[in-house]
Amino acid sequence: MSAAPDRPDGCGPVGAAVVPCVVAESLVYNDWSLVWIEAPALARVARPGQFVMVAVPGTAFSLRRPLSLHRVRGDRVALLIERRGEGTRRLARLAAGAEVELSGPLGNGFDIESTRSALLVAGGIGVAPLQFLADELRARRIPSWTFVGLRGERQLPLLEALDLPDQTVATEDGTYGIQGTVIAALDVSTAAAAAVETGAVVFGCGPLPMLVALRDWTSVRGLTGYGSLEAHMACGTGACHGCVVATARGYLRVCADGPVLPLEIIRGATAAVGGVP
Amino acid sequence: MTGGPDLRVRLGSLELLHPVINASGTYDVLAVAGERGLGAVPFSCYVPKTVTPEPRPGNPPPRITETPSGIINAIGLENPGIEAFIADLPRLAGLPVPVIISVGGARPEDYLAVVRRVEERLAGAGVRELPPVAGYELNVSCPNVSAGGLSIGADPGALRELVSAARPLTARLLIAKLTPNVTDIVAPALAAAEAGADAISLINTLKALVLDPVSLRPFLGNRTGGLCGPAIRPIALRMVAEVAASVDLPLIGMGGVTSGQEALEMIACGATAVAVGAATLADPRAPGRIVRELREELAVRSLAGLDDIRGKALRDS
Repeated sequence: MSAAPDRPDGCGPVGAAVVPCVVAESLVYNDWSLVWIEAPALARVARPGQFVMVAVPGTAFSLRRPLSLHRVRGDRVALLIERRGEGTRRLARLAAGAEVELSGPLGNGFDIESTRSALLVAGGIGVAPLQFLADELRARRIPSWTFVGLRGERQLPLLEALDLPDQTVATEDGTYGIQGTVIAALDVSTAAAAAVETGAVVFGCGPLPMLVALRDWTSVRGLTGYGSLEAHMACGTGACHGCVVATARGYLRVCADGPVLPLEIIRGATAAVGGVP
Repeated sequence: MTGGPDLRVRLGSLELLHPVINASGTYDVLAVAGERGLGAVPFSCYVPKTVTPEPRPGNPPPRITETPSGIINAIGLENPGIEAFIADLPRLAGLPVPVIISVGGARPEDYLAVVRRVEERLAGAGVRELPPVAGYELNVSCPNVSAGGLSIGADPGALRELVSAARPLTARLLIAKLTPNVTDIVAPALAAAEAGADAISLINTLKALVLDPVSLRPFLGNRTGGLCGPAIRPIALRMVAEVAASVDLPLIGMGGVTSGQEALEMIACGATAVAVGAATLADPRAPGRIVRELREELAVRSLAGLDDIRGKALRDS
């Protein structure tokens, strides 16, 4: 037996295998960076809602960061990175020509086979995977409406990075669009009413409390919905059980069972499943 | 295998092609190997996630986060229970390396029940559809419910009783995996050795706490967690050296090893095998690289094998 080869066929196998790639372009929008990466093998097979594990450059030891695939164009994939801690700060600084290691695509992604119309609901950086989904829905000529919730003025530059269909924006401080949370915006918007009228499938991504509120909003209206969850991850492949969320089906791994789960099974952060004393 | 230094090591009755194995719970060969097949496993032995008699849901999230040069986790031994584990064993049949089953429990009887059940299955029909099970690693870091939550590994008397009770149940390799959350690591190591363990693995994670920076409340759902990764490597080296100096059993050293050089240091402190965990979580290529680097380290030092290195740190010259 010999050690596992790093890359049995060049930029080949996708999944857990690590693929070194080169940054093609990097654009900064205040607290976010939009980083385009040359990753042909990944770009060929990636589906909206899937994610990649990205090695943090310049650290002696660091877990890879799970980041949603934000867009795919030709041989390139885009990541939309929000600076939160040291890891994402380093990733957000990736400039054109820099080498970066990715593994993926990982996770299940959004299933849109039975979607005839779609309502996309993003909370902040949760917009990252929904742009890829919106691009796919547009390519399939599926009518879609988008709602983006932001905290306030400082986050507005993010909108410049986006290209979403029928976009409604809500800001909590009221500096732009509808004042309030994105869920409050759904309640008052005629666009949301139009989407409900068509029996749209709801796709959400954002903080857990937002997804819980979206679950209730969706269920009251008799719609089907999916939420893409985020979690601190270690392996990204299902081995360590570190990234679980409480659901109606017990603890599920965001990396391997998700990140996309039916909204109806999502539970709040305080929900426990059995548990250990 | 291509020429060069011979990395084979002997763990009691078990011969391994090289010293690098996985730390339990950090590598799922089925998840990682996927369709590429089990042949690509970089470890010389496979230790699945700890199994207990009954299914355990594990701890509430969040369960894991990064700390400086480390990872803190509180998974809570989530596992499907021994019956589901055994039903799933045939999926590992094609594994080219032996399996060591990591055994956990909330009370001593739990460990014995798991060993008994596996032995019963291995003595039954259709054993050729199963992977080669080389032995058991008793994960004695779990809180012992029948002793008020103190872990068996922190109680040399309880550890001695457990290993003594498990010993007659199997002729296979019996390994005690020690917790570092003790004042004196040699006492539980001696207890395991005297009770008939074939090998000792150390160290498990160090009990630790990390706060949410905004709320200033414990970040993990379980409040405390276990720290692993390079941050604990010097502690692991010290404990392996102390046990190696006092106990005449092969040791599986672990704690923050991320390179061939660091694996070599673990061996120099007396380890026979080296388990890799946090490094694999951070980079799935790490285990293969560590084996390669270890071979290079020996070549650079013009050494034919690991025997000249093992325990070198303990000797006067």
